[in-house]
Amino acid sequence: MKKTAGATRLRLNWGEVFSYIFLILLAAAYLGPILMLLNTSLKTMPSFMRDATAFAKELNFKNFADAWVKANFPKYLLNTMIYAVSATLIYIVTSVFVTFPIARGYVKCANLLLTLYVVALFLPPSLIPQFQLILNLGLYNNPIGYILLFLVNPMGVMILVNFIKTLPRELDEAAALEGCGYFRFVVSIVFPLIRPAIATVVVLHSIGIWNEIIAPTIYLTNKNYYPITRGLIVFQGVYGSNWPTLAAAVLMLTAPMMILFLFLQRYIVSGLTSGSVKG
Amino acid sequence: MNYYFGRGGAKLIPYLLLLPGVAVYFLISLGPSIATSLYSLTDATGIQGAPIRWIGLENYREFLFMGQASRDNLDALGRTLIFCLCVTVIQFVLGLAAAVILNQKLRGRNFFRTLYFMPVIYGVVIQGLMWTLFLYPLGGPMANLLRWFGGRSEFLGGQPAEAFAWVIVVQIWANMGITMMIFLAGLQTISSELYEAAVIDGAGGWQLFRNVIWPLLTPSVNTNLTLNLIGSLQAWQLFMILLGYRNGTQVLGYLIYATGFGQTSGSVTTSFRQGYAAAASMVLFFLVLAIGLPVQRFLRRREERILG
Amino acid sequence: MKKLLSLLFAVLLICLSLNSVSAAPAAQKTTLSVLIHQNPPMVAFMEAFNAKFEEKYPDIKIDMAVVNANDLSTVTQTRLTANDIDVIDVFGFANGVQPYMKNVDAPNWQQLIEAGLLMDLSDLPFVQNYDAATVADAGSFDGKVYEVNLGRVSYSGIYYNKEMFAEKGLSAPTTWSELVDACKAFAEDGIPCMTAGGKDGWPIFVGAYGLIGSVYPDQAALVEGLWTGSLKWNDEKSLEMWEKMKIYAQDMMEAGASGVAGDAAPGRFASGAVAMFPGGTWYAAAIEEIAPELDWGYIPFPGSDDSADNQYLFGKYDQGWSIAAKTPNRDAAIAYLSEFSDPDNYQEFVTAVGFIPTQPTAKLDTRIGNEVAPYLENFRVGYEQYWVAPKGAGQFANPWASYFKPFGTYDDAQTLADKAQADLQSGLDALK
Repeated sequence: MKKTAGATRLRLNWGEVFSYIFLILLAAAYLGPILMLLNTSLKTMPSFMRDATAFAKELNFKNFADAWVKANFPKYLLNTMIYAVSATLIYIVTSVFVTFPIARGYVKCANLLLTLYVVALFLPPSLIPQFQLILNLGLYNNPIGYILLFLVNPMGVMILVNFIKTLPRELDEAAALEGCGYFRFVVSIVFPLIRPAIATVVVLHSIGIWNEIIAPTIYLTNKNYYPITRGLIVFQGVYGSNWPTLAAAVLMLTAPMMILFLFLQRYIVSGLTSGSVKG
Repeated sequence: MNYYFGRGGAKLIPYLLLLPGVAVYFLISLGPSIATSLYSLTDATGIQGAPIRWIGLENYREFLFMGQASRDNLDALGRTLIFCLCVTVIQFVLGLAAAVILNQKLRGRNFFRTLYFMPVIYGVVIQGLMWTLFLYPLGGPMANLLRWFGGRSEFLGGQPAEAFAWVIVVQIWANMGITMMIFLAGLQTISSELYEAAVIDGAGGWQLFRNVIWPLLTPSVNTNLTLNLIGSLQAWQLFMILLGYRNGTQVLGYLIYATGFGQTSGSVTTSFRQGYAAAASMVLFFLVLAIGLPVQRFLRRREERILG
Repeated sequence: MKKLLSLLFAVLLICLSLNSVSAAPAAQKTTLSVLIHQNPPMVAFMEAFNAKFEEKYPDIKIDMAVVNANDLSTVTQTRLTANDIDVIDVFGFANGVQPYMKNVDAPNWQQLIEAGLLMDLSDLPFVQNYDAATVADAGSFDGKVYEVNLGRVSYSGIYYNKEMFAEKGLSAPTTWSELVDACKAFAEDGIPCMTAGGKDGWPIFVGAYGLIGSVYPDQAALVEGLWTGSLKWNDEKSLEMWEKMKIYAQDMMEAGASGVAGDAAPGRFASGAVAMFPGGTWYAAAIEEIAPELDWGYIPFPGSDDSADNQYLFGKYDQGWSIAAKTPNRDAAIAYLSEFSDPDNYQEFVTAVGFIPTQPTAKLDTRIGNEVAPYLENFRVGYEQYWVAPKGAGQFANPWASYFKPFGTYDDAQTLADKAQADLQSGLDALK
């Protein structure tokens, strides 16, 4: 018995060493390009044009101020937040109510519906028909129409269905026996239990909205409605882009998403669920 | 299936609550796509007021069977499959390894998780900029590293096969974080008691993985395989940003975008060809369907076998 | 989770309330919607011009949208469909369908005209401010004017570093063999001859357009010849062009050029890393910004050994203005373009943007403007502005130097010439 324990500890240590080697090698591949972005954001345009990859000795923090003003950050960032928050919120709520009965088979043709959602992953891009639809609905150049575009994401549906399947059915039965209704069950039992999956989907879905560039170009022509990505095109040009300012702008643009990710990571990897769900 | 929450009218509640989500999906996503499939049989330009004629399968004939252009299209199709295979396999393995390792109580695990996920946050334009700089052949970091070992390379500007390989690397780099996240979320469903029981039974790292983690991860495995497969079949933006429209490197998704929006070369003015672009994207749709659906069916069967 | 949801709600509510404060009240005057594509000096000029215009016409408000050049045609299409645009920036009319072409689609500008979406400008006085040739070449269809084009760019020239040439005792090359010799002389000192943004692909073949131009000075005839079969990509004359392209791609370009991004190429030249840089007139601004003190010149690419063939500059018409046919603000739109076309305003525009002017009275009085001035009477529209590929033609059916190693996979001029012709022929045969 003693022997086994010792051997286990030794193996675990080796495992840890391998783990760290793997993590650090991979980290190098991730840090390299990201540091290049940071470096670029601190260069002046002429210095970038002369030698794009040289170390940014000049520490030109002015890029950040320039980007903030020229891309109209205060106003457009707010718009982006409104779109991302409201679309994600509506999407998550409607999707859980779609995925739970599908995963459980509580609706007829659950399999057909699931297949339809899987097919949605494959669907060809249909920019012009979608545009004509929104136009005919009278939602062109309208934030509501824009948000409507982001209420579908088959990838999130896949993630949620597969996650809900890991919840034991006995839960439903027990809750129902105690007189819990369907709506209340989903809201107060299922939602908390699938937190890791919801957090994952929230991050992925909101990043998609946050970085979207084509849709606002086409659907929103009123400057009061522009999201921040629409402001960033100030730094791009047909005959060459202002990469340093763009890099600075992107670092600022993605900061809220970083914070969101760091915040939600707790929910994704919380370990809380494992206690409450017993197989 | 047994429905526990009441009888009769109460059984309709799930339908009622499911309706908004499904209705939006039909309206926003499925409807326009059906319109696209109809467009593919016409010579529509997509311009308001221009006449539209049914031309049957003519667009498909042009894309698949007309002259050298169609043979070039089929080459692109072949490359798409290679790209898909490489990306799916490598991204899956790396993402799984990272998730399993980062699910342990290791020092700095939050840092690594965040780092690996960062590219996802940045979006393609910036991913492209980062790698263009990182792989800059005249004095970029990779070029310097390679020079220490006496090598040199043009990386993204190299021969088509080499450039193509680098896009595979960047694609994996950019999306591995998602795979990792989904696995990490899946790992939370495995109760810690199961781990402990297995460790007490004397299971080592590999056995623990093989007998406990792997089977219980099946739902996440399915999600990831499906997403990687479809994502890589449809990928094109990194090709545009990293390589531009270069012969011998295009994949189907990029080809469709470039022909649909007239960006195959420099400043040439092309036509609005909604119908033809629709046909090309339908070809990709059928390809993804032909690969995706059987894989999906296989994965579902496997899941039923393992999880019951 | 509840906490999280309520937090999200709170953020949303704050955002909404903040935004409603910032929303401007609806104006009681005509709003003229203008669409342009992103080009920083152009946008800067337009913002100043719009302010001036609004001052002069207080009852007109300009709402200008800027989109990426890649998205311009899609956004033009969607905004015309939504009837949400008055004045549009449209690239010069090019790639028109010629009588000898079969089974090709009309270019997008023609499709817009035929769908009745662009306004006929023929009788408007401001059109007279532009030179007649430009109006006819870049803005007319079927005898009517639909666009006033604002300027040309040339892409067939080479920037050269005068100081480096002087050090070697060389003068600017006027023939192909002088160019080859100059490169050899630089090579002896270990100086790479040229660079271009090979990573983006197109700068390499655009850099060699001058080479095509000196072999085929009449580029419209070249396109017709290729379509009718009187010229072939693998005949003797073309083979000469391919041979020179091979030298251009493999001996003249610096090692590593295939990894240089298009944005970075002017920097390589400006920093003195290379002696020459084949590229468009639009790079001049970047070169001057990076190295204001650098002494450079711009000459047509000397692709022929007969210097008489090397006196042409090839290029294209860049952007122009059109008016949406269904605009409810017809008068405002016309006033806007009349004001823009006023010779003084136009002169300011040309100076700001650096286009070769299309109004006879305007002058591009910048360094690059003075460099190209001697060649302007020999300005010609380039091959790729005429070329329309037959459907079914393969991807190598173009005279592109970037097919050669290290940019592409070809190493032998004859093999590549045969492939280019076969790819073209495949499209021509598919018509039958």
